Amino acid sequence: MNKTQKIEVGMELLRILAGLAIAYATALIILFSISQEPVKIIQLFVAGPFSSARRIGSLVNLAIPFTICGLAMCFMYAVNKFNLVVEGIFMISACMVTWAALSVAPANLPAGVMVPLMYVVAIATGTLVAFIPAILDRKFKANVVVVSLMLNSIIGFFCTWILRYKIKDSSISFIGSKEIPESAQMASIFGKFRIQSGLVVALLCLVVVSVLFYKTPFGWKMRMVGANPNFSKAVGLSVVSVSFGAQLLGGAVAGVAGATEMMGNYTRFQWVAPTGHGFDGLLVAVLARRNPVLVPIAALFLAYIRIGADVVNTTGDIPTEFVTVVQGIIILLVAAESFMAGTKNRIIFKEAEKDLKAKEAAKAIA
Amino acid sequence: MCFFKKAMRTAIMNINWIEFFATAVRLATPLVFAALAAAINSKAGMFNMGIEGMMLCSALGAVIFAQMGGVWVGLLGAVLVGLLSGMIISFASLTGKTDLYLTCIAFNLAATGGTVFIMYLLTGEKSTTSGAMRAYEIPQVSIPFLKDIPFIGRVLFQQSLLTYLAAFAVFAVWFLLKKTRIGLRLRSVGENPKAAESVGISVTKIGYIAFAISGILCGFAGAFMSMSWVTFFMKNMVNGRGYIGLSAMNMASANPVGAALASLFFGFSDAAATTLKTQSKFPTEFLEMIPYVATILSIVVINLIRIVKLRRVEKGSAVTAK
Repeated sequence: MNKTQKIEVGMELLRILAGLAIAYATALIILFSISQEPVKIIQLFVAGPFSSARRIGSLVNLAIPFTICGLAMCFMYAVNKFNLVVEGIFMISACMVTWAALSVAPANLPAGVMVPLMYVVAIATGTLVAFIPAILDRKFKANVVVVSLMLNSIIGFFCTWILRYKIKDSSISFIGSKEIPESAQMASIFGKFRIQSGLVVALLCLVVVSVLFYKTPFGWKMRMVGANPNFSKAVGLSVVSVSFGAQLLGGAVAGVAGATEMMGNYTRFQWVAPTGHGFDGLLVAVLARRNPVLVPIAALFLAYIRIGADVVNTTGDIPTEFVTVVQGIIILLVAAESFMAGTKNRIIFKEAEKDLKAKEAAKAIA
Repeated sequence: MCFFKKAMRTAIMNINWIEFFATAVRLATPLVFAALAAAINSKAGMFNMGIEGMMLCSALGAVIFAQMGGVWVGLLGAVLVGLLSGMIISFASLTGKTDLYLTCIAFNLAATGGTVFIMYLLTGEKSTTSGAMRAYEIPQVSIPFLKDIPFIGRVLFQQSLLTYLAAFAVFAVWFLLKKTRIGLRLRSVGENPKAAESVGISVTKIGYIAFAISGILCGFAGAFMSMSWVTFFMKNMVNGRGYIGLSAMNMASANPVGAALASLFFGFSDAAATTLKTQSKFPTEFLEMIPYVATILSIVVINLIRIVKLRRVEKGSAVTAK
């Protein structure tokens, strides 16, 4: 790593932190200006998430799907295809897992067979659904963002239909599926923290995706295509197939996310609309600068402000929705290339000037 | 299958066709505005996905401003809010140099939550303003004589004022793009920003202007949603119409007239979903999918036609080169 690169990495980190700080400050200002008792509300927002073992547990639990969805979005974002179908896959994978688990329930499979089987279902669903926008993009040049958003709406209705006509439990008063068999429910770990065992899955995904990104030829190709498609084409990489493959892999990971959330956190499938996890995944991937290793940190941060907002919502008079505004600001600040770019360039320029002077001085002495 | 056919047949027989066509034209109105807004951005070389969020903000703006001074203040407010949201996106994307896709996704995300947040602060409600705020409606205008023509009169000439405005906007946008200096500059920036820059056109300034115009158009679209389609604001009420308008523009390669016709087609698919839902026993989930499926299919068909055409041109040029 030379000097310029070092400055760039340092500034990048500083920039992300500054972006987060500004967004967090905005959140505090919003809370301060609209609340009846600002001091108490802000205290709740900042310290609330750590106030009990249960809340710390739910913070981690929330960060688990964010992490896996963030990893899934890393694939899409790495090749610069904003394929937002992760949102839909998260829902349909949970739905399909429920349906599959209920279908094989009479066979009484042990958990050791059941859980892996469900993950196979989830990965197949995810890959298959991600295939649709990816192939339409590849063969017909259909805009991947528009197609994936339309597909999400379709998936939402489709899952509602399955829920209402195929797996509905008519003995309960609300709309929900029958309970999935116990062998498909993943137990929670760490006693009173009640952290779902999806944590293990999330860590596993993190390791696999990071290795794939940084230690395999395909990962290198993906990063190359994302960084400079024209150059990749010039050196003989098939940009189309690499981005196609990346989207399928992203879909598979998103499938894992949906299945984990379903089996780790719920006993019934009861979503009737997409849950927003795909967009949270995008935010996490943007925050982590499409680097899978940083994804869990970004996910924890997002979970922290979400739980903070929840705490404020239950005890104060502030609706949780203000967090989405804060999220938008974070994406804009962190992704903005010119945010603090002037400072970075100035520092690099100064360093270069210093180097040049040192060299000239050395020459003069010689 | 037999049940399906029977259900469809009874459904089709029960439809009041005149009302169906009138509904289609009505539902096409916001799509026309959205498609025109997208066309302006597209001609300037920008794929504006933020239309969805811009419409949503304007829809809320219309309802809030209307409380202060009636329906026309509401319309003005919607346009101002649309303009403001266009400026926010262009500032982030042009001055802040954020990827435009990402900017728009972030903006739409913030708009979805932000509108609910503001609605809650003002009314204490989280899903709709229908109970808490007074309803205002942009008047329906029946054009004398023309409205008496059978069928066409009801379908085309007894509509909301904004529907006529949409028809006029198609012409206005066409005129702006083809016949004015600013339109020429806009198109030249879209064709080749570097070349435009080299003759002294500021790409950033043109970008801001494009977003301002599309913001105003989105303002009308939003006002239609909350003061004509229904007379209140509802959580996420735009529901993908911005994206559908964007696809309509995409199908017509940003030609205003073509984009309006494509919007009309999507208006029909929307009307089909709404009408069939009340008429048939068929699971509503599949009927609600119609507009979205229609959008994806039409994108694919249009692009397929384009690709085939392109191949033919390539072959043709190869032949003449020999």
